Amino acid sequence: MANELVRMEHINKLFGRVQALSDVNFTVNKNEIVGLLGDNGAGKSTLIKILSGALQPSSGDIYMHDKRVTIRNTNDAIANGIETIYQDSALVTQLSIARNLFLGREPLKGPRWLNRMDQDAMNEAASKLIRRVGITKNIPPTTPISALSGGERQAVAIARAMQFQSELIILDEPTNNLGVEETHGVLNFVRAARDSGHSCIFIAHNIYHVFQVVDRIVVMRRGKMVADNINPKETTVEKVEEVITGMNLAAM
Amino acid sequence: MEQRSSFLQRLVARAEFGPFVLLMVEIIVFTLINQAFLSPGNIGNLLAFTPELGIIALAMTMLMTAGEFDLSVGSVFGLMPVIMWTLYNTGATSLEIGFLIAIAVAAFIGFANGWFVTKLKIPSFLVTLGMLLVVRGTALYITDGFPQARWSSDSPLLKILVGEITVGQVRFYASVIWFILFAAILGYILTQSKLGNWILASGGNAVSARARGVRVSSTKVGLFILTSVLAAFAGIVSSIRVSTANPNSGTGYELEVIAMVVIGGTALNGGRGTIVGTVIGILILRLMRNGIVLIGVPGLAYNIFIGAIILGMMALHSWLERRHNAGT
Repeated sequence: MANELVRMEHINKLFGRVQALSDVNFTVNKNEIVGLLGDNGAGKSTLIKILSGALQPSSGDIYMHDKRVTIRNTNDAIANGIETIYQDSALVTQLSIARNLFLGREPLKGPRWLNRMDQDAMNEAASKLIRRVGITKNIPPTTPISALSGGERQAVAIARAMQFQSELIILDEPTNNLGVEETHGVLNFVRAARDSGHSCIFIAHNIYHVFQVVDRIVVMRRGKMVADNINPKETTVEKVEEVITGMNLAAM
Repeated sequence: MEQRSSFLQRLVARAEFGPFVLLMVEIIVFTLINQAFLSPGNIGNLLAFTPELGIIALAMTMLMTAGEFDLSVGSVFGLMPVIMWTLYNTGATSLEIGFLIAIAVAAFIGFANGWFVTKLKIPSFLVTLGMLLVVRGTALYITDGFPQARWSSDSPLLKILVGEITVGQVRFYASVIWFILFAAILGYILTQSKLGNWILASGGNAVSARARGVRVSSTKVGLFILTSVLAAFAGIVSSIRVSTANPNSGTGYELEVIAMVVIGGTALNGGRGTIVGTVIGILILRLMRNGIVLIGVPGLAYNIFIGAIILGMMALHSWLERRHNAGT
């Protein structure tokens, strides 16, 4: 399929004798926000960790643009255009916004042996980026992360994922511990990311947040993919909850 | 519109500001009480030993910024001159080769520290405490506990490391030049280079740094090696200056060095570090030791002042940090 960005095929993952994932197939299309839902222990995190290089599958294949790829570690994932934003947003709170945005891929200037960071370029690019993800407040790029609110931190994390032309942004519980307004902001950043050509996998416990932003919902239960094409516009939160728990809640 | 705080506000908010004020107060008070404090003779005195401890403190600043510290520096300071002079005195090698061997052994000790900390995930406190005992024990065993006399040598190495330099009326050793050189290089690395960003990130949040592709373990191992090598360098410089390699020298330096680093504003648990602050911290402690003797306070009371300075500076840094985090 031409529209396909990532395809995971027949993914199995065993932890000792525990089968965390069994024969999972999962695709993300270009320019799409996919909501990945499931109860605790359903295997969402395991699946995402395989895609972001934190775990290796016991068996199964991953394709990007129809080409088979091997993702052995975080750097492989990043090289393949996959960025993951974890729950705690994984920023270094002591460092500035600009230093965080470029961490691991700092631009250099001058002779190579000087190993000199181009801090002016970093600050300038950082200013533009944080405005692009919707931080309207005037925050200098040299501000340390520790001085930012939870929502602003998520925005910086999203900006970081957007900046390196990553094609797929994985958001693991991005709205946890956020206030109403900040959550609203994050959902806007996610939409902004899609509108500028990125695909997203959105994982959240709060189904309402997922409903507000995603194009397609997939549901996992006990290591299996139980629904992979739910259109949030054609269903209700209650129905999706039934799929997640595997029970007919309405009948209870 | 860019929000600009005044130059003065930004100056005061810097971690180095508090220590700098303290240093100025120290100099003024000591000079007022005893004019000899700023005499060329006394400045020369200060410049003799200060760079030796200072060079270790510079390296320790880098290591602590990356979230680790090294308690074995004092014992490395003691053992490496013993190795160098023993090799030379027994005729086994030339002094230059002995120097290189001692530095290589120090590098290996640093590597071992780093390996235990990063691969086996043992806290650096325990690893380097163990290493302290191993290294000190080795120095005592090799020498039977006796100082190694420094045999005469006309090696150019002696001049390069500890040659005497006179500027005006002040006489000092080449070790001052080395100290300034190391301070400039390490200060540049920490604030300007990509490696510096990795060091700060490794100490600030190792997990997320690793997730960004930062090679946290290699960075830390490298800094353990740097710390050990510079401690050896300082020890050798010291042994040349005092003409003896005492297996017990350097005892207790690890804590004095760590005190210098934290007084300067580097965080004990990593993520924040300043070479400028460390240079100020070094001067605060060394001037204090020198000054309280000059103004007639019993030398044995020195530690009371050092302890009080550490507590006061920590209180100041924590207050600044809270104010900083509050976003003001």
